[in-house]
Amino acid sequence: MSARIQDVEALREQGRQEISGSSDTEALDTQRVKLLGKKGKVTALLRLLGSLPSEERPAFGAAVNALREELEQLLERRFLALQKAQFARQEEKDRVDVTLPSRGRGWGSFHPVVQVMHDVIDIFSGLGFSVATGPEVEDDFHNFEALNIPPSHPARDMQDTFYMEEGKLLRTHTSPVQVRSMLRWGAPVRIICPGRVYRRDSDPTHSPMFHQLEGLLVDRDVSIADLKGCLEAFASSVFNRPLDVRYRASYFPFTEPSIEMDVSCVVCEGKDPGCRVCKGTGWLEICGLGMVHPNVLRAGGIDPAIYNGFAWGMGLDRIAMLRYGLRDLRLLFEGDVQFLTQGGLA
Amino acid sequence: MLLSLNWLRDLVRFSERPEVLADRLTMTGSEVESIERPGKNLSGVVIARVTDLSPHPSREGLRGARVTWKGKEAFCVTGAPNVAVGDLVPYAPPGATLADGTALGVRDFDDWRSEGMMLSAEELGQPSVATDFGILILPEDAPEGEDAAVWLGLDDVILDVSVTPNRGDLLSLVGLAREVHALLPSSELLPGSDFPLEGGEWPVSFDGIALQDRGCPFYALGYAENLRMGPSPVRSRVRLALSGMRPISNVVDATNYVMIFWGQPLHAFDYDRLPARHILVRGASEGEVLRTLDGKDRVLVDRDLCITSGGIPVALAGVMGGEATEIVPGTQRVALESAIFAPDRVGSTSRRLGMRSEASNRFARGVDRCKSLPALRHALTLFRDWAGGDVAFLPRTSGDDRPEPRTVTLRAPVLKKLTLKDDMDHAKAVLDRLGFEELSRSVEAAEFAVPSWRLDVGIEEDLVEEVARLDGYDQVPSRIPSNLHHPGLPTPEVRTDRRLREIAMGRGFTEVVTYSFVSPGSLERLAFPPDDPRSRPLRVANPLSAEQSVLRPSMMPGLLGVVEHNLRGGWRNAIRIFEIGRVFLRQGEGHVEPSRLGGVAYAGKDRRFGEEAETFLGVKADIEALCRGCGARVEFHQGSQPFGHAGRTALITVGNVSLGYLAQIKPSLARELNVEEDLFVFELDTAPLMDWGKALFPEPARYPAAYRDVSFLASEGVPVIETAREVRRLGGERVASVRLFDVYSGQGVPEGQRSLAFSVAWRHPDRTLGEGEVDSLHNALREALAARGYVLR
Repeated sequence: MSARIQDVEALREQGRQEISGSSDTEALDTQRVKLLGKKGKVTALLRLLGSLPSEERPAFGAAVNALREELEQLLERRFLALQKAQFARQEEKDRVDVTLPSRGRGWGSFHPVVQVMHDVIDIFSGLGFSVATGPEVEDDFHNFEALNIPPSHPARDMQDTFYMEEGKLLRTHTSPVQVRSMLRWGAPVRIICPGRVYRRDSDPTHSPMFHQLEGLLVDRDVSIADLKGCLEAFASSVFNRPLDVRYRASYFPFTEPSIEMDVSCVVCEGKDPGCRVCKGTGWLEICGLGMVHPNVLRAGGIDPAIYNGFAWGMGLDRIAMLRYGLRDLRLLFEGDVQFLTQGGLA
Repeated sequence: MLLSLNWLRDLVRFSERPEVLADRLTMTGSEVESIERPGKNLSGVVIARVTDLSPHPSREGLRGARVTWKGKEAFCVTGAPNVAVGDLVPYAPPGATLADGTALGVRDFDDWRSEGMMLSAEELGQPSVATDFGILILPEDAPEGEDAAVWLGLDDVILDVSVTPNRGDLLSLVGLAREVHALLPSSELLPGSDFPLEGGEWPVSFDGIALQDRGCPFYALGYAENLRMGPSPVRSRVRLALSGMRPISNVVDATNYVMIFWGQPLHAFDYDRLPARHILVRGASEGEVLRTLDGKDRVLVDRDLCITSGGIPVALAGVMGGEATEIVPGTQRVALESAIFAPDRVGSTSRRLGMRSEASNRFARGVDRCKSLPALRHALTLFRDWAGGDVAFLPRTSGDDRPEPRTVTLRAPVLKKLTLKDDMDHAKAVLDRLGFEELSRSVEAAEFAVPSWRLDVGIEEDLVEEVARLDGYDQVPSRIPSNLHHPGLPTPEVRTDRRLREIAMGRGFTEVVTYSFVSPGSLERLAFPPDDPRSRPLRVANPLSAEQSVLRPSMMPGLLGVVEHNLRGGWRNAIRIFEIGRVFLRQGEGHVEPSRLGGVAYAGKDRRFGEEAETFLGVKADIEALCRGCGARVEFHQGSQPFGHAGRTALITVGNVSLGYLAQIKPSLARELNVEEDLFVFELDTAPLMDWGKALFPEPARYPAAYRDVSFLASEGVPVIETAREVRRLGGERVASVRLFDVYSGQGVPEGQRSLAFSVAWRHPDRTLGEGEVDSLHNALREALAARGYVLR
């Protein structure tokens, strides 16, 4: 009898060794069949049960069952360990060099000026301004006359105009949209007019086509303070950081008083007397503004005795150039793919 | 306007540094663009007398000069031919520096040792001041021994003041002096010089002046004779040069000097060459010709204002004189015009003829009528003093030299409304310094007389501006305007543009902006037929170049131009670009400017980099995505474009509205563009995409569909979409979808046919269809297809 219990112990020792000696899951499976399969060694021991005296059977049976459980556990543990190692080997084999270039189509890219335009629209939308549009091929009335610029006004010298063969002109600013909006909606009105404008000028900082965004607010009791508030909201966000502003008196035929707003230089912050961008002044002209001239309100069908308002105009291309560090305005309109797709990243 | 501070100080006393003055000018509307110190390098140059001259023993052309000043003596060598013994000259001893910063020392010329040098105008930094070649000879009244740079006025500070078009009064020293006085509280205006009124009558007969055009409200003529033409005094020449005027001769310089001083342009006629002893100012007759003093014949129009004599134009008022009456070196007698011409008339003439001058600039901005006579007398004084002329100080005049008085009322509530402050005493004090006289005052309002020189002031807001700009706009607080009447919502146009550009960028398209004007050639190669509105673009009458002379009727010329630009620049990879902008099309008598989205997808010459290939159907997917993003379902129809591949062009519709096209570029055009690779273009109207934001999400199906495939032969000539519709129709209401998954033609398929394979989804809305039911539905469909003549596979 003791010899049979010894058989159990021997098999335990043998099983332990063979399980731990299996080097892969297939070998382990073979061992499982050898030990626990229908023709396996543990099964064979159990078969001997019937040949034992009945008083020995419970002890022997319990010993064999304990052996089976132990071996099953060992097999399972060994299996998990081997499987884990196998996965690890597979993963190592499936390794991807993550520095390989990505595949498929990437993101395109935004155009600096259009992006700035949409960002500025967002800023003023938040202040209650709606977007208004008008034709780019304009007539003299909306582009000049209604804006208090009669023919032969010296201010026409400030804006060299493209004329169309039919006598119309390419708008020199987005201000005609103000006139159209006043005529269409009357007062009160609160609009911004983004769009393309045209002047006969071409050099690194002037393009015959460029982009402006103008604003107009007409209501009762409008103050210069309201105008400053709106533009300071703009100045504090368009370059993603607050900038200092200053106001200089100026002249535009369509506003009275007329003012220009400068912001602190976004490049040198006023610290570099040799700064190429602000020419050492520490300030950048960014926006012309003023209170709408009564003649302009009248041309827009609004009674200046009841209503007044303010307007401003800014060059989006210049803001884009400052924001994205561009030197030559004309590059913006050549569509150089390399230029456009490599920019706009911080 | 170049402002000489030395000259300015003749008129106004102030102690502020030039930088402070410049900042005040800039902040109050007259931007100072630069501050120059022309004599900043000059030092140690003295006024010395030449006491002896002797030729160099061996070097031809060189002379040795002994110069003395304040008991000192030096010897220097010069090559200048114009120096004589007894001359006073600017002399730079060793240790002195020249305008260009050169420091002088002692230099040997063979046996002679030269200590420093005598200076030319150029070495003093003002070459235009020279009257002859060589040393700048100084007049006898120059103080020997004094600093030459200081005496000449080269120790000046010059502000380049940018004067806005409304402030013609600041194009004069007297005007700038008044402005500076207003800007600097501690400054003091100095009394101006008086000019003689005596010696009046003209020694020659003159019939008079007639004004026949309202464009000339005042005209004065002065007279001088026995003028001796020559250079004007050296210090005046320096002032003119520093003020940006090239010195020419005493008579011309005198008129320029006076113009800078008073802002009143003058014109001198050769009295003896005037056709008649009479002046008539009138509008020109259409087609009248005047040869101006630049030698060009100018054809006049009736808006031009001209000065005539004896029926013949002798000058274009305020713009340029005539050649026939201009003063010449032999001129003895001069009639000097000081007149007022309407700004709009001078402006339109000078603009039309492209003749801008210091004079026309001032007239176009408005000249103060009250300055015409003082300026004329000043000029006559200079004629007398500089050219030794006999002068008749009593001018002949016509018209009124006093303009109508103008008054403007400033109301406290208006001041308060605009600036949030209403201190009327303060406003009065500011306006007073600017020359506005308070005529009356009530509790809430004050009436001011507008000074004659402030032609820009006419309404209350102008007065508010004067007060606010002198105080500084920084003094006005800031606030966000309340009173919101409408929410600031982006318009459908903005929303659609944004959606489109974001989808396009997400699908790998790069946003570009191209010029709205294109070259006629870039349109010609797109071969629009004469009945296509795109063949008749709007044309710019005065383009910068032919390359930019027509407004684009399509996005294509610009976008294809971008492709070419990149190819020329050596780009070899794929290009995906898009632009949202307007095109310009004639419509009836006028035009329309629809907003378009244009795009190009180009495979590129070098395609080794793993990008997806560009295909017609791939770009179609992009367009579907763009429209889908706007909530629009689009349909593609076989179509054509003049520049599109005959077999690969689609017209696109949304609802029943035409939206645009998608095309592969015609092979012939591709060759012209130098692309052998596939190049797809598309152009969509954005307006039809704006109204599709009302898309609904239908309830999801509750019961699963069962799928069966069907495959059959169909004619190649029938668009797949029609066949699919037919399958759907024949299948009946249980068909949930019909999707094509294979197209095959070739072996086993007869010519002109193709094999189509569809996956049909069968579904019942209220229950799950049993396998048997699906089979019988599908078999019925197959039979129906066979009955229609399709060969099932």
